[in-house]
Amino acid sequence: MSKEVICFILNGQKMEIEVEPSLLLIDMLRNRLGLTGTKMGCGEGECGACTVLLDGKTVNSCLILARQVEGHEVLTVEGLGTYDKLHPLQDAFIAEGAVQCGFCTPGMLLSAKSLLDENPQPTRNQIAKHISGNLCRCTGYVKIINAIEKVAKSD
Amino acid sequence: MSDYRVVGQSVRKLDAVDKVLGKAQFAADIHFDGMLYAKVFRSQVPHGILLSIDVSKAKALAGVVIVLTGKDVPGSNSAGIIVKDEPVLVKINEKIRKIGDPLALIAAETEALAEKALELIEVDIEVLPAVFDPIAAMTDSAPRIYADGNVLAVRKLRKGNIQEVFTDCAVIVENEYRTQMVEHAYIEPEAGVARLEGDVVTMWVATQNTHFDAKEVARNLKIGLDKVRVIQATTGGAFGGKLDVSVQIHLGLLALRTRRPVKLVYSRSESIINSSKRHPCIIKMKTGADKAGKLLAMECTIIGDTGAYASYGPGTITRTAVHATGPYEIPHVAIDAYTVYTNNPTAGAMRGFGVPQVAFAHESQMDILAEKLGISPLQIRLLNAFRPGSVTATGAELTQSVGIVPTLEKTKAAAATLIDSQCSVMNGAKRRGIGTASMWYGIGNTGLPNPAGAYVNLLDDGTALVLTGCADIGQGSSTTLAQIVAEEFGIDMEDVRVVSADTGVTPDGGATSASRQTYISGNAVRLAAQEAKKVLIETAAAMLVVTPDEIAVGNKMLSVKQTAEQSQYLTDCQGECRLDLGLSPKGRGLSVRLVDCIAQCRSTGKLTIGHGWFNPDTTGLDPETGQGKPYATYAFATQIAEVEVDTESGEIEVIRIVAAHDVGKAINPVNIEGQIEGGCTMGLGYALTEQIQVREGKILTKNLATYLIPTALDIPEVYPLIVEEPEQTGPFGAKGVGEPSLIPTAAAIANAIYNAIGIRFTELPITPERVLTKLQEIQNANV
Repeated sequence: MSKEVICFILNGQKMEIEVEPSLLLIDMLRNRLGLTGTKMGCGEGECGACTVLLDGKTVNSCLILARQVEGHEVLTVEGLGTYDKLHPLQDAFIAEGAVQCGFCTPGMLLSAKSLLDENPQPTRNQIAKHISGNLCRCTGYVKIINAIEKVAKSD
Repeated sequence: MSDYRVVGQSVRKLDAVDKVLGKAQFAADIHFDGMLYAKVFRSQVPHGILLSIDVSKAKALAGVVIVLTGKDVPGSNSAGIIVKDEPVLVKINEKIRKIGDPLALIAAETEALAEKALELIEVDIEVLPAVFDPIAAMTDSAPRIYADGNVLAVRKLRKGNIQEVFTDCAVIVENEYRTQMVEHAYIEPEAGVARLEGDVVTMWVATQNTHFDAKEVARNLKIGLDKVRVIQATTGGAFGGKLDVSVQIHLGLLALRTRRPVKLVYSRSESIINSSKRHPCIIKMKTGADKAGKLLAMECTIIGDTGAYASYGPGTITRTAVHATGPYEIPHVAIDAYTVYTNNPTAGAMRGFGVPQVAFAHESQMDILAEKLGISPLQIRLLNAFRPGSVTATGAELTQSVGIVPTLEKTKAAAATLIDSQCSVMNGAKRRGIGTASMWYGIGNTGLPNPAGAYVNLLDDGTALVLTGCADIGQGSSTTLAQIVAEEFGIDMEDVRVVSADTGVTPDGGATSASRQTYISGNAVRLAAQEAKKVLIETAAAMLVVTPDEIAVGNKMLSVKQTAEQSQYLTDCQGECRLDLGLSPKGRGLSVRLVDCIAQCRSTGKLTIGHGWFNPDTTGLDPETGQGKPYATYAFATQIAEVEVDTESGEIEVIRIVAAHDVGKAINPVNIEGQIEGGCTMGLGYALTEQIQVREGKILTKNLATYLIPTALDIPEVYPLIVEEPEQTGPFGAKGVGEPSLIPTAAAIANAIYNAIGIRFTELPITPERVLTKLQEIQNANV
């Protein structure tokens, strides 16, 4: 298999990396770039823990190839906020008690961001629908929806 | 009690910032240079003898570093929480008891190579007849999975004389209930990384009990317990399923043999196939009451399928038996509970630990009895609910912190305003109904010692370091423990650091299970803080020239306690007295800053460190009668569910759940709400959608597309209500809530479905297919 160099924007920074054609996006992020905030929960696109944003839309990074992001923009949880400046969603997740084990949290945050970017004032039902591909086994989703709603309302 | 500064506050979780930033290190996130990747070669047959295994081709594959089989396990080659019956790697001529039994272990330079090597292993297995039905497994003619038979444990409970009393009952209800096998489905599959640090096998793993893991690793590697260090990595959910050993021993073996770092991460299907499950149970329950509705007698037989290995099976069945009456005083009780080996997947601990099964039965029985007697579900529960002074079926007297009645009253009051009173009115094909269910849950291990220890070090600058064995699995125990320590020292949350679940550093905290850590580790850290505080108080007393019992600690100060008179005097002379100079009404120093007191301790050669351990007050249970004191304290709860059943599609929507939980004292209310909301949601899955389907020992639902846990679209409105009946022996009165939150949910939903459509389901899950089948039966009978 011949490797190829791909260029894309990762968390706002231009990135060039040589990848094998079969390399999955999640493996490039986690294993090649050390961005382990993106989690692997099933490897089959069922749990949403590996959710990242591709040009602002949610994708399961376990289902797409690294080379598919060539020329596109990828946002992972590492690009969302920093210790010094949390993203409002991150702040709200903490304040509302939406974080338990934290394994679904990065994917959940990115799903929430993509929703608010396209629909800044969603209803609770729209929020639930949008995050329904992101499984959480700890929280029962209530406080996650509360947190997203809080950010929507504060805009 | 609003006297507390930190306890009772919904403070932010200590680990939340790292988690929202994606910085928290879960085991699979850890990387070491030169790290190998491991894979486990497993049995595809449910019962057999391993005749031979040929790993030569796998070993020959370039990039494969090592392949281990049973003969390479230097130690006991056995693991298990209660019974050491699980092979680490099945040896030649030894038994395979389930699909998934580990036969060989591979470590390679890449994960892909390790996977490729799996395909090169060849085995010869003599397939044995297998048994998959627990009732069949109990017969003499069943294939023997173990030499001494298939019945793993029998638990008996005898109180009073049921036979005489049943004849006096005005109403008797007798039913058989069946509950299904379910999966924990934590979103993080099992994972770990190990390496040698000097001669110490060190590993970072997803776990609920590092100190147990270390013992299993040491015994199987045949090395000293001092040469094993197990550190809990941030753990992505557990719910009982990460109590069993998964990757730990395998990682230890590979790290020791290769002397290289090694990682083992399960795939989702590997996780579902190999992790323990909730016991499927068959429960025959007969309950009798007098004409007023007072319960007189219960007879119950329970058979739990524990699968191929014991795991927590013996403990689970004890708890099932002890809790079979529900939170009600019944004078005459006979319970026989069996847990039986089969060649099915292993069942072990799962949130609720055998109680959700029996709660489905006893809470269905209560509603059926109430209907027969013409009283309400609330009335029959209030009439029989435990109160202080009640005696349980094990003969234990409940003296205090018995909050079942307040949970009944509180849910009823809340439901009256929240839930549409027109529930039973038809809306096209849709019918609404409400259902109530209650529960009780003993905190800590059943009738066994289960201590936890802690160290607390109050540092020179007035911050505190807490060392606890308690594994935080996302529920927030580290935050709760920090709150307890902050409260004791009168310092802020930011001033407390918790180091948890690291066998190289922390004392044993026991398992994060049995909803025990707030109560047991909470007491341990509190006692440790109090030991350190004693030194502080003595020093402050000397500085302020009073006796130690006159010193109060709080708000980063140590102060002379004031009488009301002194307080008034102080208020009066605020303007004149220079309090900041430490002038008191008596002319003595009024208070001393915490940091100055610590400095004084140091200058007089005193360290402010404390250790503490706590073991709940329990006794063992009599093997013939089950009599004894299995727990020091109990949590209580009542939930009311409102459902809507579509009689055309059979679909059930849970609209609302009102859930009142007696937690003793809410140390962190928001975290408790989170437990309740999460528990209700998991209970909803248990009631309606979740079922591990097994055919001849093989799991068919081995991914999250076929094993259906609730999504954000499936959840009801949840109204958590916190009831505080303080537990005298609890830290600040606290008990526990993790498991109770799930226990009554399925029963409440089942009762609500009956209320909606008049059909009593005695088997879980209540799927649309089952609803439609029952509706069809009724329709046919009416034609």
